[in-house]
Amino acid sequence: MVRASTTSTSRALLRPRPLDSALRWTGLATLVLVVAGPVYLTVATALLSPADVAAGRLLPDPRHLTLANIRDALASIPLGRQYLTSVAVTALQATAQVVLGAMAAYALVFPAWRGRGLVFALLIGTLAIPGETTVLSNYELVTGLGLRDTVIAVALPFLAAAYPVFLLRQAFADLPREVWEAATLDGAGHLRTLTSVILPMARPQVITAALWSALAAWNGYFWPLLITDSPQNRTVQVGLSQLVASESATPGVVYAGTLLVLAPTLLLVLLGQRFLVNGLASRAS
Amino acid sequence: MTGNVPSVRPGRWTGPALAAPAVLLLLVFAYWPVLRSAWLSVHGSDLLGRPTRFVGLGNIAQLVLDGALRSVLLTTVVMAVTSTALATTAAVLAALLLRRAAQRARGVVALILSLPFAYSAAAASATFAGLLAPSSGVADRLLAAAGLTGPGWLTEPAWAVAAVAVTTAWYEFGFAFLVMLAAVGQLDPAPLEAAALDGAGEWRTNAAIILPALRSSILFVVVTQTISGLQIFTQVAVLTGGGPGSSTHTLVYELYQRAFGGGLPQYGLASALGLLLLVLVGVVSAAQLRLGRER
Repeated sequence: MVRASTTSTSRALLRPRPLDSALRWTGLATLVLVVAGPVYLTVATALLSPADVAAGRLLPDPRHLTLANIRDALASIPLGRQYLTSVAVTALQATAQVVLGAMAAYALVFPAWRGRGLVFALLIGTLAIPGETTVLSNYELVTGLGLRDTVIAVALPFLAAAYPVFLLRQAFADLPREVWEAATLDGAGHLRTLTSVILPMARPQVITAALWSALAAWNGYFWPLLITDSPQNRTVQVGLSQLVASESATPGVVYAGTLLVLAPTLLLVLLGQRFLVNGLASRAS
Repeated sequence: MTGNVPSVRPGRWTGPALAAPAVLLLLVFAYWPVLRSAWLSVHGSDLLGRPTRFVGLGNIAQLVLDGALRSVLLTTVVMAVTSTALATTAAVLAALLLRRAAQRARGVVALILSLPFAYSAAAASATFAGLLAPSSGVADRLLAAAGLTGPGWLTEPAWAVAAVAVTTAWYEFGFAFLVMLAAVGQLDPAPLEAAALDGAGEWRTNAAIILPALRSSILFVVVTQTISGLQIFTQVAVLTGGGPGSSTHTLVYELYQRAFGGGLPQYGLASALGLLLLVLVGVVSAAQLRLGRER
């Protein structure tokens, strides 16, 4: 009885007052306008004809939508070809970061060995080194190896990263140790134990690590700009910045390019947000 | 820790061997460059940018003494602080406003507000370049509709710095919002219910209970945004190309210009700029650790 009455009292108190509610929605509407405005502009300008854009008709009229801007954006720079380069770089970089990260995390959690504390500190320490500080030496090194202006060169300095190691080490450490002991007692090798026992059990964190690695690889700009010259080896991010410079007179084409570059990460945010947010929580704590 | 399981005896080299690939790659591509930068920064450069004679702290002294380089540092700090303040305030406000909003609307609004997170720095910059384009951009058109003429968004020094900061804030907002949303979702409900029973209003509850509970998440957002603010490059490269004049040169844009720009490569000075960035990021990270412990 007491419990029920408490609940109803708190309900009454929790109900927002009309003024609060009006303020809340005014605030939220303003934020939505500021945040979603540029997104709307990207999509609308990309799909409208240049004549409509020039006349300021930015409300989408389904009869006037066109894919001409998208076609033009793919053909210029050539953004279409660069898409393949970006896909290759992203696949290579994210796969390597997750595979090497999982191996290192396994080594740091399961077998006991001298120096693993030091190795962990060494790996995590790289989080404090900004990528821009390392570009000069990496530029010398990669150029010295004769790899300048190749797809490999774009991914090479980032094949290993601290964040996946950090994330997977936490995930592995949360698994019951008996699982690992049982697997090794059964005579399974370490790589086998990692791939068929440990990784499946840490699946959500593996997905989180892979998504964050892929996001960083796809969105990279400074290094790909420096280490590539020929249009076909440029990534889409660099291509997009060139599109902004060369097609400034046709905003439809620039926004179509933006939409193309944005599409994969937009899907990731819409479909994989749960996994990305899991990664955030472990970072913030 | 593992002393009570003597039956499991992995080979001595298993651990080191599995960690080796990641460790070696990071030694070569993260640690070695820092040492190399330190070495380059105390040397001059020849016409091809190769290190020449030892100059001691000459390059580092130039960072302090050269007025142009000092203003680069100032521009960088202004952009980092402004964009961090804007993005963090907006993200905290959005998360607080959403907390008590109706369930169904909350999901949709949260999804919309997380959209900038999908943008890369280049995509956000391309979007704002179009928005701020002279006369044909949406900003100038809206002003024209109100009978006003916009300033030279990207051609007047103060506006150009503001444009880069606002673009950065917009693009960083997605990340900041997702962190704050997750943090608000994990709040302990007990003190909130107690406050409601005591008749505390929403904003009183926000100030007295929620903001203090969000402290570590806010600190995390402020630190990560400040660090990425100090690293601003793409936005400048796409929006202003460093101009007008050199008014939007940031630390990283300056490094790029000195090492890879049109003029003679100055690897020594570029390395000193890279080290300055490393130190600034280190100071901000150390401040985070320090503040995080004080509780």
